[in-house]
Amino acid sequence: MLDRRAKGWQKTAAAVISFAIFVSVWQLVTLNPTIHQVMPGPFAVLQKFFLSFAEPIGKNTMLMHMLITLSRWAVGFLAATVLGIALGLAMGWYPKFEYFMRPLFELVRPIPTLAWIPLVILWCGIGEFAKYTLVFIGAFMSIVQNAYHGAKSVDRSIVHAARMLGCNDRQMFFTIVIPASVPAISAGLQIGVASAWSSVVAAELVRSSSGVGWIVVTGQQNNNMTQILVGILVIAVIGLLLALLIRKVEDVLCRWNKRGR
Amino acid sequence: MRKSNKGKKRSYVGLSVLSIVLFFFIWWLFTEGFLGTIKANVLPGPVKVFTTLIDKFSNKNPDGALMQMHLWASLKVTLSGYVIGCLVGIPLGIFMGWYEKADIFINPIFDFIRPIPGIAWTPLFILLFGIGMLPKVIVIALAAFGPALVNTYTGIRQTKEVHIWVGQTFGASKFEILTKIAIPSSIPFVLTGMRVGLGVAWSTIIGAEMLAATAGLGYLINLCRGIYRPDIIIAAMICVGLIGAGLGYVLTLAERQLMKGGRW
Repeated sequence: MLDRRAKGWQKTAAAVISFAIFVSVWQLVTLNPTIHQVMPGPFAVLQKFFLSFAEPIGKNTMLMHMLITLSRWAVGFLAATVLGIALGLAMGWYPKFEYFMRPLFELVRPIPTLAWIPLVILWCGIGEFAKYTLVFIGAFMSIVQNAYHGAKSVDRSIVHAARMLGCNDRQMFFTIVIPASVPAISAGLQIGVASAWSSVVAAELVRSSSGVGWIVVTGQQNNNMTQILVGILVIAVIGLLLALLIRKVEDVLCRWNKRGR
Repeated sequence: MRKSNKGKKRSYVGLSVLSIVLFFFIWWLFTEGFLGTIKANVLPGPVKVFTTLIDKFSNKNPDGALMQMHLWASLKVTLSGYVIGCLVGIPLGIFMGWYEKADIFINPIFDFIRPIPGIAWTPLFILLFGIGMLPKVIVIALAAFGPALVNTYTGIRQTKEVHIWVGQTFGASKFEILTKIAIPSSIPFVLTGMRVGLGVAWSTIIGAEMLAATAGLGYLINLCRGIYRPDIIIAAMICVGLIGAGLGYVLTLAERQLMKGGRW
């Protein structure tokens, strides 16, 4: 019921039990020989996962694949963070700039990131730069959008108070608008992390020669279900860790703004 | 003061027009205009893209299908997967939001699966079910399922306690509190989840069709990469954007219609 929250240890116990049930159902189902042909059991997948750190899949070991994918993610995401926040804040705060940039932004925004893949490959080739660009596009849109709304909805009474105390335009932007937009920006970063992650995976699925997305797609080409599941497992774990990381960053940055969180 | 503000606003709209005109002019200038240094197989000009877009609705070359066939192929898969995703996600969200005992068991597994982008499931289901419609429908359903569930769950959890107390005071059973208080008050969240889910579904289908398909917008875009036809790629991207915006708009309209009483 809504009024009584479970205690921490109960939650942990429930989580352990449900994972145990999940794994054992999976294992029991794959004991059936027909299903076993197309679907490996959970322990086979785990074994393959640990083995892949020693035995390379393709040219690289698992650790290398992870690092390659993460570096693609990091470059694109950092570029999108810096440029996206700058553009979003400027668009939200300076009306002339807003009227100039917003139509262009709205023109591009409805196109999903994944639809850019072929065009980006055509323009940037199949190297690393194409992946950076795709991750950038994926994260950029939501970061701009949120920073924009953050700067637009700065509390007017704070702005007026600052103005009254003789704050100049530059001070206004750097000491009022930017700090006040931090909660909105970090909301945008959280969405951006997820969409950058899904862009890098998609880019690797469509065209690449390394990375965790590549592991999944070559698993499909070689009819190797274990490899696909290992790839998906890695994608899930890294995605989860990245989301937790950015939530931690938000906790630090928005310590002053804990509204019932 | 007021008047001058209004005057200012009008001049800003001029800026918007200017930026759009400038965008297309620069694009045109460097492709089809006097400074036409960019080759058409890298970036075609706006006129070329526009004529290709119109032409593709009646010209089967080079991929053997008209634009509307591709549109329909993508839409069909998206909508069927989306409906399945919502039909599973929303009730499960209500269930998890309301019964905490179920929640603490299901949530950990769900938290683990959620960071996996829908598109990453595509190879798995292709291997299981071939490259027909079914694997894509499942992938879309998975993609739409997440946002639908999370938002519904949040909506149910945000039911105001005061409203529940009022219900209890008037002798409502637990089930009545759920159906008459918690579910109606979660509808704004549910609709948000449905809107987000539709966006994700539409984006995922484009990616999934690049991996394995014989029709659809994603297939068309990826095919034209191989044969260096960026004019068709951009034309198809315009269609993707328009349809995506259109679908979003339909849901926003529905939301406004349903939310006439405001967010209660």
